[in-house]
Amino acid sequence: MKAAIFSIGGLIGAAIGLPAIAYVVGPALKQAAGVWIRLGAISKVELDNPTLFKTTLETQTGWISTQEEISAYVLTSNGQDFQVLSNVCTHLGCRVRWIADDSRFHCPCHNGVFAKDGTVVSGPPPRPLDRFENKVENGILYIKRG
Amino acid sequence: MLDKFANWMDERFAWRQAWEAIFLRKVPHVNWLYTLGSATLFVAVVQIVTGILLTLYYVPTPDHAYDSVVYITTQLPAGWLIRGLHHWGASAMIVLVVLHLLRVFFYGAYKYPREVTWITGVLLLLVVVGFGFTGYLLPWDQKAYWATTVGTRIAGVAPLVGDWILRIARGGPDLSAVTLARFFGTHVWILPASLVALISIHLYLVIRIGISAVPERNEES
Repeated sequence: MKAAIFSIGGLIGAAIGLPAIAYVVGPALKQAAGVWIRLGAISKVELDNPTLFKTTLETQTGWISTQEEISAYVLTSNGQDFQVLSNVCTHLGCRVRWIADDSRFHCPCHNGVFAKDGTVVSGPPPRPLDRFENKVENGILYIKRG
Repeated sequence: MLDKFANWMDERFAWRQAWEAIFLRKVPHVNWLYTLGSATLFVAVVQIVTGILLTLYYVPTPDHAYDSVVYITTQLPAGWLIRGLHHWGASAMIVLVVLHLLRVFFYGAYKYPREVTWITGVLLLLVVVGFGFTGYLLPWDQKAYWATTVGTRIAGVAPLVGDWILRIARGGPDLSAVTLARFFGTHVWILPASLVALISIHLYLVIRIGISAVPERNEES
């Protein structure tokens, strides 16, 4: 009797509990598909000087469609090969800024400092700035995100 | 190991005594109609669990309520199940509390010494109806909007205080964001608090006094 009660109770608990877990963690674990984002014309990139590009991306978060701002620093030494650095600090996610006087990226939150190519100079960041995969089509630079 | 832990806890909580008082108490020989109260309690627990889960995604404002409900139902894993259980459980609650009330009424189980159990039960009926009324508005679809328009207007026809009740229920002369917010607050804070308090008294009395036996025809005395 006691065993029957506990097993039926367990069954009912699992029937609600297991879907409940999927319900709670479901949207959190969803992976966004990689998309190519149009960043801008390569003619705007200054030689040997990280150039900030800003663009917006239409994203669906929950039931709301939002314009997400994406910023990236584009670097080139020859006008043909490009490196696109994320402006998100690898420490805790604040946005880094290129300070031209110092020729370094500075993070305002915890004094993380990165060199022109994104490598860590000083401060708490555990790894260099992330790089976006990129391609150039008809003079337009695209980055891949996802 | 488990036994040791159980004993350790028992020394401090005397939980075995509580367990005995709640689950091993003596009951008269009764029939299946006496399970209606437990059935109501079970569905109430399901409503609380699914209701809490729904609040993780539901947003009670006119510009998000409907979209968030659609998101729950169509985009989330098992969202349809959680919302469906809450939706159908609401109807089951009304049916079960009324049947439970009828059982108690026709068996005369509300009499001395169980008057307070009866009164808290009647208050619980009102709370359950209140849950139904406030919850109906929350999806903020056409049915919800007009049902609440009509429902509050019905309250409005009461003599003298009608308009006053209508304005308090709506938070103004018309249905608005204020109405939705106060219905939500009532649905997830005021009513659940009342429900838990009243169920506690109700169940304490059921255990303290014990349940009534099935009435019998006794023509000798």
